[in-house]
Amino acid sequence: MEALTTFAQLLVGGVLTGLVFALVAVGLTLVYGVMDVVNFAHGEFLMLAMYATLGLALLGLGPLLGLPLAVIAMFLFGIIVYRVFVRRLLAGPPEATVFGTFGLLVLMQGLAQAVFSSDFLSVPSPPFAGTIRFAGLPVSQASVVEGCGALILTALLFAFVEYTETGRAMRAVAEDRIAATLMGIDVQRINGLAFGIGAACVGAAGGLLMLSYPVYPTAGVPFALTAFVVVALGGFGSISGALVAALLVGMLEVFGGFYLSPELKLVPVYLAYLVVVLVRPQGLLGRR
Amino acid sequence: MIALGAIVAAGLVTALSVRDAVALDLVFTLLLYAVLGQSWNWISGYAGNISFGHAIFFGCGAYASALMVTHGLSPWLAIPAGAVAAAALAIVTGFPTLALRGHYFSIATIAVAAIVDALVRTQPWLGRATGFELPIASGWAALQFADKGPYIVLALVLFTAVQIATIALERSRLGYYLRALRANHAAAAAVGIDERSWKLLAFAWSAVIASCAGVLYAQYTLFVDPPSTIALGVSIDIALIGVVGGIGTLWGPAVGALVYVVLAKGVALELGGTGKGYDLVIYGAIICVIAALRPHGIVGAIVDGLRRRRGALELGAASATGGAA
Repeated sequence: MEALTTFAQLLVGGVLTGLVFALVAVGLTLVYGVMDVVNFAHGEFLMLAMYATLGLALLGLGPLLGLPLAVIAMFLFGIIVYRVFVRRLLAGPPEATVFGTFGLLVLMQGLAQAVFSSDFLSVPSPPFAGTIRFAGLPVSQASVVEGCGALILTALLFAFVEYTETGRAMRAVAEDRIAATLMGIDVQRINGLAFGIGAACVGAAGGLLMLSYPVYPTAGVPFALTAFVVVALGGFGSISGALVAALLVGMLEVFGGFYLSPELKLVPVYLAYLVVVLVRPQGLLGRR
Repeated sequence: MIALGAIVAAGLVTALSVRDAVALDLVFTLLLYAVLGQSWNWISGYAGNISFGHAIFFGCGAYASALMVTHGLSPWLAIPAGAVAAAALAIVTGFPTLALRGHYFSIATIAVAAIVDALVRTQPWLGRATGFELPIASGWAALQFADKGPYIVLALVLFTAVQIATIALERSRLGYYLRALRANHAAAAAVGIDERSWKLLAFAWSAVIASCAGVLYAQYTLFVDPPSTIALGVSIDIALIGVVGGIGTLWGPAVGALVYVVLAKGVALELGGTGKGYDLVIYGAIICVIAALRPHGIVGAIVDGLRRRRGALELGAASATGGAA
């Protein structure tokens, strides 16, 4: 019975963790799908959003109230980064986007360290600090809010890409850039929009995560590494794939951390990446 | 070759005459990073498989050194032991992953390095997260010295050997095959170049070079732990050095290391030490500018410029003779 309760608790924890991973990963996979760019600075966008949320909280707009503002700010930030920087990388050789976004990662981590120092900072007295009982299991309120919020936002993004005119244009660009141009789609605008939305996703994720996590200059790194795995596992460019993969990775991490050791919790996650890219490179739900 | 001779001469003069510990430390770091950048350049520049996990091979050498010394053996044995361990690790991890392309390979190297890092931190015989402090000794037998001069000489020897090996690589069958595979793997395969075995060979040599640098590093700092040798941050430093100078060029890594040491470390020291992130800001900004404006790196841009100038001259000469005829 004891073992079963622990298992159920880990399962709930894994699902809730996975939902947050999903929100981070869909931003990455959307950008990849539309313009074939793996944004290595995605985790640093998350870190920036977390600092922004903290700043808003210190001004009196608690994490959830400040969330829409953080989303809008990150959306604009993403568009500016695309216009000023990523657009130029796309004109260069394919490896330029890898190096360029990696350079952005280093730059943003350095700036964060220079401005905010390396200290761990948290929102003072965050809401949802207690636990609730879910089917008889104690679950932290913050992680329930984070998981549910992430699920709603991921679903919204999915609906946007599937059912709106702009979403269709994005899928068209992802499918065939040249044909999309010939159909009168402004590829630069769609690229910029996709980059902005990708950043807005981590804007929302950062707002949610500040309920229970501290922020520091490399706070985004573990999330970004997990997001790479999720995106590969789900199939680069697939939003529904990312959601399924994120739940799997959330479980792997939570169960790995419990049954192996906390230091080794990411090992099964990385092994899963290696197995998937070697055995099924299109991912679980991706197309070839 | 002339440039290499000049660098060796300058290095020897520095080793013999300069007594300023900070300056010597910068020179040692410069040479060490130039070697690591070149090691990375073999697989990521010439072969085109961009690795973000190269530090694990550097770690093989550093840990081999730490293990030998703490078990009372000669650190000289760490050179072959680290090399064998690094080559084996390269072959085991490269065999499945080297066929992956683009970001698939790059993320796989991050995954492999993260697994190695996590495993090292749980192994008592590898010092877990605390690592090793090497006992202090002195002399050539112990490969430890009271002043920095001999270290600079050793680093120079390693740097020279690696540069000569790279010249040999550029002129060898392996070098031509790697560049052919990078340019067009399908066309290269069609003329019978076996991608996996040639890239494995390059990867293994690249790992051996990084391991030698690791041994030298451990004997110099006398301290080996995961963050300073195998962590993601070290891998990123190595890769960015290769990129800044220009990937797939003989002098790119040395130029990259120079930029790294002078700008990042030098300016960070001026502004009040590391740990404040200024070195990362400067370095990150350089990478961003280079990636956006000069994606072939500093040496790549110079080569392009020279070629264009030569092309213009030849064109001018051709039109002149054409006009005369």
